[in-house]
Amino acid sequence: MTLLKVDNLKVHFPIRGGFFRRVVDHVKAVDGVSFELQQGETYGLVGESGSGKSTTGKAVVKLNNVTSGQILFEGRDLAALSRKEIKPFRKDIQMIFQDPYSSLNPKKRVLDIIAEPLRNFERLSPAEEKKIVQDFLDKVGLSPESIHKYPHEFSGGQRQRIGIARSLTLKPKLIIADEPVSALDVSVQAQVLNFLQDLQQEFNLTYLFVGHDLGVIRHMCDRMGVMYRGRLVEEGNSDEIYDNPQHIYTKRLIAAIPDLEPEVREEKVQLRKKLSAEYESSYSTFFDENGRAYDLKPISSTHRVALQ
Amino acid sequence: MEMKVESGKIIQTKDVSPSGMKIIWQEIKKDKLAMGSLIILVAILVFVYGASFFMDAKEIAKVDFLSIYMEPSSDYWLGTDYGGRDVFGQLIIGTRNSFTISLFITLFTAIIGLSLGLLAGYFGGATDNVIMRVIDFVIALPQLMFIVVVVTIVPVFNVYVFILIMTMFLWTGKARLIRSKALSERELDYIHASQTLGTPHWKIILFQLLPNVSSLIIVNFILNLAGNIGLESSLTFLGFGLPESTPSLGTLISYARNPDVLENKWWIWVPASLMILVLMLSINFVGQALKRAADARQRRG
Ligand SMILES: Nc1ncnc2c1ncn2[C@@H]1O[C@H](COP(=O)(O)OP(=O)(O)O)[C@@H](O)[C@H]1O
Ligand SMILES: [Mg+2]
Repeated sequence: MTLLKVDNLKVHFPIRGGFFRRVVDHVKAVDGVSFELQQGETYGLVGESGSGKSTTGKAVVKLNNVTSGQILFEGRDLAALSRKEIKPFRKDIQMIFQDPYSSLNPKKRVLDIIAEPLRNFERLSPAEEKKIVQDFLDKVGLSPESIHKYPHEFSGGQRQRIGIARSLTLKPKLIIADEPVSALDVSVQAQVLNFLQDLQQEFNLTYLFVGHDLGVIRHMCDRMGVMYRGRLVEEGNSDEIYDNPQHIYTKRLIAAIPDLEPEVREEKVQLRKKLSAEYESSYSTFFDENGRAYDLKPISSTHRVALQ
Repeated sequence: MEMKVESGKIIQTKDVSPSGMKIIWQEIKKDKLAMGSLIILVAILVFVYGASFFMDAKEIAKVDFLSIYMEPSSDYWLGTDYGGRDVFGQLIIGTRNSFTISLFITLFTAIIGLSLGLLAGYFGGATDNVIMRVIDFVIALPQLMFIVVVVTIVPVFNVYVFILIMTMFLWTGKARLIRSKALSERELDYIHASQTLGTPHWKIILFQLLPNVSSLIIVNFILNLAGNIGLESSLTFLGFGLPESTPSLGTLISYARNPDVLENKWWIWVPASLMILVLMLSINFVGQALKRAADARQRRG
């Protein structure tokens, strides 16, 4: 079942300039992106910094205004709804933010942070509320006494768990995870990732997982889309993309993954040189005269690539 | 504060994390100058508000030509002025008036500046644009000229008119300060998180944004309070302040415009000047300590 269908999504930010601060140009942060998420799967959006991944994710939760295109959630177009009309959908779609330091209000206790969504949607007695919050704290591996503490008393990994608990309290169907581990120490990254997978099982969640680390995305995601300058350049099953990349940008992205074994390192350097040459020579098969990636074309039943 | 787990039982050591107020209090306690200032300030205010409660303002303002320019004595602790009015009494009532006026000006400007600053900063865009243009307009007005005109044309120039007109001009700085802070806060993910959690804008502004600008407001409030005491006095000294019928520190000091008073009758203007100095300095020292507390809080994130 299709849970989320993003169709030709465009998010353009105006650039203002001049004396009257008129709109002089647009940043085409997202410029015609389409993908679908099936119920229960994890879909990854990968690409370099600035490629428009976060903007795509934020558009789904209405943190950005959509310039054009559709965001169909269970068949309803969220892009066409006003902020008021979107409120019931807030329960179903939640977001986990990249920075665990700025995503929790420093002046609020954990109880108030995690209970905030509950207070917006449900009428609960303080005791019921506390019980629910403590249950979720337990689920994310924090002690129930944490409710009286403030965010600065926790480590980055623990804070991210608090953010995750907050996003779970309304029992959402879809979670947008915007680089949920990239601000964390490598040692706790795997921990949080595995734990996100456990939660997916338990709560039957669908993830839109945003990241710049192909390794992490491959580990987490069933399918992924590769973004480049606001466009999807390749989409398919994670293994397909990783083992058989077709778009030059995807190839370069994979070749850029650092390798620890010295023998392979030399090989990698050669590969990168080769790809660099291929990029120059075959530029026009992948990008039009404006440097914009072409629309995706299927090359197998699951694999799509932006080719001429 | 830590929680200790002993034999499976959880003993919670009171309220967990030091709140903003506690940190501020600790900072003041550590700073001897600020602590001393606070004590002096509280003592003066308690005395002034207490004593003025038992004084008859009308009696003090009454002219008595039999006792003009008397030197300090046991009858008149600080002598009398050219109308034979008790300077000590005027000092008490004047301090009370000046402080109250300053307090209300600070309070009203804070309310206006805070509301408009938060709205402009949180919503940005067109809302911000309109509010900023209004601020530009107010700033562009020639303040002193405006005050002079108002003082001349209003039929009764009293404390309320004074507070009103000062408030009209002085809210802009606060609004800009709060706006810029709110602008940067709203880009932080905790605000985005609240939005995706379905919290309405007004709740986000009041319960998420406001607590994070509160330390800035408190510090700014205190420092403005000091500034506004001086402001009233200097305007009165220039002759655009309150009428003589309303004793204020400025009224007492403005008697010093008379060279004879300035040179020979120190008891009229020196106490009031000292009072202003002490009030402004002590409020300032407390404010500086608060500022440090607020900064430390920000550093801790
Ligand atoms: N609010 C905004 N206003 C203007 N430009 C923005 C805004 N948000 C993002 N952008 C721009 O859009 C592009 C994509 O940003 P983003 O989606 O954050 O990239 P990613 O998450 O892939 O690193 C960047 O060039 C960024 O500068
Ligand atoms: Mg991003």
